[in-house]
Parts: sequence; structure tokens; C-alpha cells
Amino acid sequence: MTGKPRPDLTDTAAAPYWEAAARHELVLPRCDACGLVFFPPRELCPGCWSRELSWRAVGGGGAVWTFTEVHVAFYDDTWADDVPYVVAVIELDEGPRLLVNLVEPDLARLAIGDRVEATFEDRSEGVTLPKFRVVKP
Amino acid sequence: MSVLDGIAIVGVAETAIGKLPGRSAISLQAEAGVAAVADAGLTKHDIDGVFSFSGYSQAMMLHAARVAEHLGLRPELAVVADVGGPGTHHAALLNVAAAIDADMCTAALCTYGENGISIRRSGRGRAPGTLTGGEDFEAPYGQIAMISGYALFAQRHMHLYGTTSEQFGAVAVTSRHHASLNDNAHKREPITLDDHQASPMISSPLRRLDCSLISDAGGAFVVTSIDRARSLGTPYARILGYGSAATHHIPSQAPDLHELGGPSAARRAFERAGLTVADADAVYIHDACTFSVVAGVEALGLCGEGEGGPYAESGALALGSACPVNLHGGMLSHGHAGGVFHLLDAVRQLQGSAGRRQVDGAEVVVAHGNGGVFSTFSTMVLGRGQ
Repeated sequence: MTGKPRPDLTDTAAAPYWEAAARHELVLPRCDACGLVFFPPRELCPGCWSRELSWRAVGGGGAVWTFTEVHVAFYDDTWADDVPYVVAVIELDEGPRLLVNLVEPDLARLAIGDRVEATFEDRSEGVTLPKFRVVKP
Repeated sequence: MSVLDGIAIVGVAETAIGKLPGRSAISLQAEAGVAAVADAGLTKHDIDGVFSFSGYSQAMMLHAARVAEHLGLRPELAVVADVGGPGTHHAALLNVAAAIDADMCTAALCTYGENGISIRRSGRGRAPGTLTGGEDFEAPYGQIAMISGYALFAQRHMHLYGTTSEQFGAVAVTSRHHASLNDNAHKREPITLDDHQASPMISSPLRRLDCSLISDAGGAFVVTSIDRARSLGTPYARILGYGSAATHHIPSQAPDLHELGGPSAARRAFERAGLTVADADAVYIHDACTFSVVAGVEALGLCGEGEGGPYAESGALALGSACPVNLHGGMLSHGHAGGVFHLLDAVRQLQGSAGRRQVDGAEVVVAHGNGGVFSTFSTMVLGRGQ
């Protein structure tokens, strides 16, 4: 089995995001010039091109914007032990959207608009991935 | 006047489509290229521009130079455009038009295609998942295939507008019916809605029969000036209007459905053509999945926003309706090797050479669709040469 794709932890524009995830915290870049909170992290603000950015802790609350249950391990056996798994786009309360996995999904009840909260998965290869779970009403 | 008014598509050709073991992608593009030049009534020595794209299963630098070398050509121009989906072929037309206008080219060969099935057996392929751009923030979550990206938008369309899997199935069934009228289609045996509903889930809500094929195939077209086309005496297609749009790269960064680039690309193309979709005799929509057609008929204005599902279910996509969709069978049934076949069949409709799937007297045909996961859109309004 080949390794799963892992983010580039050496990318200086994104390193604080992954370092925070390792502490089980969710942070997003915020533009000091125009106030935009955005994702994915990059060296400039996509709203106004300012390079004056700060990191802002966010609550990890949001809602399911859309989702799919993936039933096939595409290309090779990398994801064979994971299928079926749920890929979802989450809209955070702060605005940005993230593509993540939903953990322990209840597929019979899962719906767009469901409230979610952040959780964190420490992967064996030394990466922590922010993930989300549906908040029980 | 636009430079696009000055060009004509004078020749089209495609190879056999399906499993073609042992055939390299370059050989498929070359075979189609030679046939397209002959279809245009030209010879090797007339070609002084090459435009191409490698396809994603064996992405390559300087691909047009490779095509030129393979065919023993030393053109002034060897240019690659990669807009995604139909935009790649439409951008080649834009490049050729500018080159012809600048006296840098008189006749251009544009080649496409890949060996998406056989590259896997050879072990030399590259998973498109390594090319989609979400390597840091999406691939680690298993978002590695285009189809699961499409599934995210199909799911949202169902949520917002009540679209059903059966309505997606209507697209699949109609595409297969059209392919049954096309002797070169990869999949020709008719399917039913029950077959669609019984096909296994790939990435919910998309089932196997919602997904485009993977094919070994090549396709090519030849472009020259309108004046040259007239002197050749062969039927040709003109460009009446072109529009495009780019909104994002990876699925999580897309705007909501109604803000995707399809409607604006279509509106720009029809405005530049001075036409509306009511003038179209047929349309060709890049169908990476059945939902792409649902979104496409909405974007083109064949129905209202959110009404693509009922529109598909009504039978309006089929040959015999006012504006049939994907008469060659689309990527769902005819073949998928980069999506050039929509443009080729649009030209055939305008040349009157589409055989059993011909729309009688077709004057205006539209090629439309997206690259990436609804990342870029391109709409080209084509007209019969005269």
C-alpha cells in the first residue's frame, strides 16, 4: 500500500495551520488590512492582496455545505481500508469552507445543513488532520 | 469583427474508441490528426500550426512540440492550452484565430486524446489525483478523484432543488440511446432507468452509470481561414460567439451552484453571437457525469435555475426534440479522452455528416461545459459555414 497524500508541512504560508492542528486547535489566516478570514492559507490576502496577515483561533463550529459517501478506492489500494468514507465541505461559522472527512457519520440521517464541530485525527505519519463530526441535536 | 470571425473548422476525425491495448496516447492523437487533415482536403505540407493537450493520464511538457515531432512537422507554432474540459479545445481555436490574423499560421492541426484505460496496464500513468491541485488541503481527506468532486455538487443540487437520482438516470439513458445511433461509440447497448438505479454507487449520489467512461481514443480538428475554407469547397463550421469563465480550482473554494461560471460563459457567448439558446439546433455539454448535463441545460438557459432535473426527465434531451443534447452519446457513452468529441460532433452536425443522429438542416450548434470540478466554463456557439 502506498502512503496517503499528506500536506506539505514545510510550506511557510500554511505551517501555523498544521502546527495548530497538532495542538488540536483550529486557526485560520485573517487579513489585518481588510479583515477577511480565508482558507486555504497563503502568503497574501485573496481579497485585497495585502501581505499583513495574522492567525485567528476559530471555534470549529459550522454546518455541512455538501457531502458525498465515497464507495470506491480510486486508482490503487491506498484508500481500500477506508471505503466507504464521507467527504464533506463544511462552512465554518466564520465563513470559509473546508473540505474534510466526517467522522462516525450517521448516513441514514446525514443532511446538508447539519451542525458540526471540529475534531482532530493524529495520523501515524506525524500529521494531524482537522476533521468534523455532526453535533447531536 | 473579432478574429474568431475569420476562421473555419474544416476537418474532424476520431480514432476507434474503447480498449486499445498497446496504443500510446501520442499515436492516437497522430492517427486522428492525419485523418482530420485528409478530412479537410489538405495535406501534411499545408499544416503550419499545431495545437494540442496531452490529457491528464500522461501529462507532459511541451506536448504540441511532441505531436509536431511525431508527425514530422516543423511549424511556426506548437502551442498547448489547458483550460480544462471543452475550454481546452475552445482556447486552441482562440489561439489559432489570433495566429491566422497575425499571419503566423494558415492551417492548424489540433489534436487531443489519451489512452486512459491502457496507460494503467502499462504502469506509466499518473493518477489525475496528483494533478487536481488539492494536494495539501483536499487529497489528504481522500478527495482524489474528479467524480467525488462532482458528487458534492450533485448532492447540493438535490438538496436545493429536489433533483432526483432518476432524473440523473434520464440523462444516462438518453446518452446511451444516442450512442446506439453512433457506430464508433464505446458503449452502444441500450440501458434502462432500472439499469441505472441498479448500478453500484461510486460516490453518492452518483452511480456507475452516472459517470463518464474512461477510454483510449484520439480526436482532432483542422482550422484555417474562412477564405481558405471556401476555396477548399468542403463543408465547414464557423465560430459565431465564444464566452468563458473561471471561478475556482479546488471544490471547497467553489461558489454556490447559481454562481458557477456556466451561466456567465453561456451568456457572453450568446451575446457575442447575437443569438439566444432558442436559435440552437443542438447542444453538446461536457458530461463528466450525468449531473453536468443537468447543470448545463440550466446554464445554457434551456430551462430555469434548478429545473435541469425535470427538464432531463421530460425527454427534451433526445434526438427529435427542439434542442437535443450530446447526439454522439457524450462521455457517458461515446467515450472520454479529454472531451474533444463534443466539438467534433457539433462540427459534423453543421457539415451535415452526422449520419443517423443528424439534426436536419442544423444551422447553429453549441458546445458548452466545464473543466476541473466546475472550475472553468467555456461556451462556443458554432454556425454552418457558407
